[in-house]
Amino acid sequence: MQSSRLNYKNDLWIDWCPGCGDFGIVNAMVRAFQDLKLDPSNVVLVSGIGCSGKTPHYFNVTGVHTLHGRAIPFATGIKLANPQLTVIVNGGDGDLLGIGAGHFVAVGRRNIDITVILHDNQVYGLTKGQASPTLPRDLKTKALAKPNIQDAINPIALAIASGFTFVARGYAYWPEHLKELIKMAIEHKGTALVDVLQPCVTYNDIFVVDYYKDRVYKLENDPNWDPVVKENSKDEVQEKQAKALEKAREWGDRIPVGVFYRNPHVETFEERIAKFNPLYEQVPPVMQKIVGEDGVSPSITRDDFRRIFEASLVKVEKL
Amino acid sequence: MANDKVYLLIGGAQGSGIETTSYVLTAALARRGYGVLSNREYFSNIVGRHSYIQMAVSSEEIPRSHTFPVDFVGAIDAETVFTHYDDVREGGYLLYDKDTQNTRLIQIKSMESELAERLKERFQELGIELKLASLIDYLANNVGVKVIGLSYRAVLDKLRQKYGLGLAQLQRYRSSIPIGVVAGLMDLDIDSVVYGLSKRFAGRQKIVETNRFLVTEIMEEVKELYGSPLKLEKSKLDHDELLLVSGNDIVGMGKAVGGLRFQSYYPITPAADESLFLERYESLRADGESKGSMLIFQTEDEIAAITSAIGAALAGVRSSTTTSGPGFSLMAEGIGWAGMNEVPVVITIYQRGGPSTGLPTRGSQADMLFSIFAGHGEFAKIVISSGDHMEAFYDSIWAFNLAERYQTPVIHLLDKFLANSITTLPVPDFSSIRIERGKIILEADKGPFKRFDTSETISPRPVIGSGAITWYTGDEHDEYGHISEDPVNRDIMYEKRTVKKLELIDKEVPPEERVQLYGSTDADFLLVGWGMVKGPALDALRELEGEGIKGAYLSLRMLNPLPSEYVLGILEKFGQDKIIVAEHNIMAQAAQLIRMNTGFQIKKQVLKYNGRPIFKMELADAIKLLLEKKEGRVVLKYAK
Ligand SMILES: Cc1ncc(C[n+]2csc(CCOP(=O)(O)OP(=O)(O)O)c2C)c(N)n1
Ligand SMILES: [Mg+2]
Repeated sequence: MQSSRLNYKNDLWIDWCPGCGDFGIVNAMVRAFQDLKLDPSNVVLVSGIGCSGKTPHYFNVTGVHTLHGRAIPFATGIKLANPQLTVIVNGGDGDLLGIGAGHFVAVGRRNIDITVILHDNQVYGLTKGQASPTLPRDLKTKALAKPNIQDAINPIALAIASGFTFVARGYAYWPEHLKELIKMAIEHKGTALVDVLQPCVTYNDIFVVDYYKDRVYKLENDPNWDPVVKENSKDEVQEKQAKALEKAREWGDRIPVGVFYRNPHVETFEERIAKFNPLYEQVPPVMQKIVGEDGVSPSITRDDFRRIFEASLVKVEKL
Repeated sequence: MANDKVYLLIGGAQGSGIETTSYVLTAALARRGYGVLSNREYFSNIVGRHSYIQMAVSSEEIPRSHTFPVDFVGAIDAETVFTHYDDVREGGYLLYDKDTQNTRLIQIKSMESELAERLKERFQELGIELKLASLIDYLANNVGVKVIGLSYRAVLDKLRQKYGLGLAQLQRYRSSIPIGVVAGLMDLDIDSVVYGLSKRFAGRQKIVETNRFLVTEIMEEVKELYGSPLKLEKSKLDHDELLLVSGNDIVGMGKAVGGLRFQSYYPITPAADESLFLERYESLRADGESKGSMLIFQTEDEIAAITSAIGAALAGVRSSTTTSGPGFSLMAEGIGWAGMNEVPVVITIYQRGGPSTGLPTRGSQADMLFSIFAGHGEFAKIVISSGDHMEAFYDSIWAFNLAERYQTPVIHLLDKFLANSITTLPVPDFSSIRIERGKIILEADKGPFKRFDTSETISPRPVIGSGAITWYTGDEHDEYGHISEDPVNRDIMYEKRTVKKLELIDKEVPPEERVQLYGSTDADFLLVGWGMVKGPALDALRELEGEGIKGAYLSLRMLNPLPSEYVLGILEKFGQDKIIVAEHNIMAQAAQLIRMNTGFQIKKQVLKYNGRPIFKMELADAIKLLLEKKEGRVVLKYAK
């Protein structure tokens, strides 16, 4: 199939505020899909609720717009039932790190082969600008009645602590750079996070384009920055994670974007399942026959049943 | 003279091994072709609180219910004797540990103070000193219970001498003592007991051998002293093999046959054992050959359980999640999403006592209305319930068929009574089992597809990954699954997902499959119930028939949509005065459901909500009482 831009975008009118950072994310995703020549019918975008939640509707690939905070477990079920699919989550900061934080942590523990794109605008966009879990304390964005009194979560640090094996940050107004990060994330085998700084033009009057303009810099410009785990020794993993965590703390005059951490050597959840259950890998669950030759009976016959559950059977011998 | 039915009760501290006692005895009895129903009552506790097993054994049928008093109470500790002193019939047998005879009631710290207080009062009324020895005397001399007092220490000492076991190991054999006594009283042959032991301790020959020695010794001694008064006739059941299954097991088996490929769960009593059972069989290996792979997925919470199950269903596999009340409460939003997006997902609920964590390990039927209405907004949802183990097996398959045919969440409503009851079951007949996948499309042309095509109530369903590009959203949507707030589209979609679907189900699924009438409409009265009430109901009816009162039982199986006209037809044949509802809740939820759907009001109610099963004798008594009245409610209390 030819992968022109049209194959990935549909012509639905996008109802985000003009200038919204989310446009940059869509743009970067489309370009990433083009570069990777993904088969649109094999890509699934799974989103939560919020402005960011609408993302899948604008693509010409399968889209599942789920519940507030639950995109990750929905995506998990889809991926585990059919590991051949490319599954990408789009979620807001409130969605993934507030109401859905438990799932964010859990997916890292599993290292399921999916990509999580975090639309990080420091506010609850769709509910009109309340503080999100990534808004630092003492800041008062436009819609707040008083400054925020809760501390911010650091998504990069949380992802590393949770076991994500690819952790990156992008900037919505650098779509070309963001595209490269998304491509790496998709190609990475394991759970990948791309935290995207995504200015909310309507409710966030602090983290605006002017704010980011002179602060964001690319990690890869430092020739000594090497976030990739190579040998996978315990020491190396610890050292790379420690460096990434240190970098994650950098937020102020300089804000790093790029890859913070990448470890391609960790077994995915799918591989862990297959170790105990080889058929899972050979035939994805969705392709396994559950109906017998006649098209109506179960593929497990009564005799199969007796053999499978032999341990529960008692052979009767009356005296 | 041999018996055709025997009731046994064996009690001891949680963690002391009575579950093994029950399993070994059940397997031994099954080996000789007897029918067994064995229920387990226990606290939400790992070690130390009182638990007991109640077994009904029959040479003529697979027992359906329990009743009191029983023929035999086997006590592993003093608490069991105090707790169950009045559960054994006159002329029945009580086994106890002679070494505990000086135990005083107040020394039993694990006993709840309310029970201790009630016992104290009662014993004082009866003139019994608050000491085990006095209670034993009273039972032997005033009630006519035959007391079998053994020194458990002496029994274990023999084992120590013969096998050189350590003290901690020895204690585990306390729970084998009742096996020996029961084997003696019932004249079970040692080979059948060894068969049961070998099944339980497969590959651990030493334990089997030690037990064989212990059981043989006790059995011979008991036979010599008491004969075998609880001996059963040769079994009349005609099965050359029997499944030994709990409710959790049989539901797992049904799901496996039904084509389950994904099951998510977050641990909760009494549901988790179903998933653990399935996990042991996840590669469906028959003689080494894998017949499929089931993914049993432990999630971080029940929200992830329902939503990952929905995800798997969207990708085209048969998918379910299993839980109990607290977990189900967390699933409500997810179920609404499944309703909105017409996703076939099965939710298996084992009801326990609520609200909140309530009685975590006790049974209940209080979640019927909650299940039917769970989730905000309106959408079609199917709720089914099973009356016994065999029904639960077939219904587990039926649930998937209904879910895929009607593209809707299906709730399979079970309870703790089923979950923790072990029974002997013939291997199910497979000839009538069908796998109906409805309008699923596993391979489609590539490109956008109208997943919510409104030209039919049930739209074709290309799964994610089939080639078709589809969209899903919890927002109101158009035929493609894109967000739409258009009022005209709203009405069409709303009707499609709710009343049209429900009407279709109502039209297509025969009422005879959705409710079951036992007995005829010219009986003297009609008992109405659902789920596990079926067993005690049918047995109570049989008992009353022996007294010349003929009853019928209506078992509600599909609670939503209820086949209203059909049910009303049956109710009207009896008339209000002759109808009694029986269920495990206080609101008479089945009666409310019937009234809501048919307008018919059932004015006689038998209710039980203390977490313990409905027993045959109390149900029969309550029915007799209510038949005398125009209306009324009887709350059943028998409980330990
Ligand atoms: C269970 C639940 N609670 C609350 C809401 C209301 N709600 C809709 S969007 C939203 C916040 C979205 O913020 P974020 O996740 O940051 O996404 P953004 O709009 O900023 O992209 C909330 C709280 C909801 N839809 N569901
Ligand atoms: Mg946000």
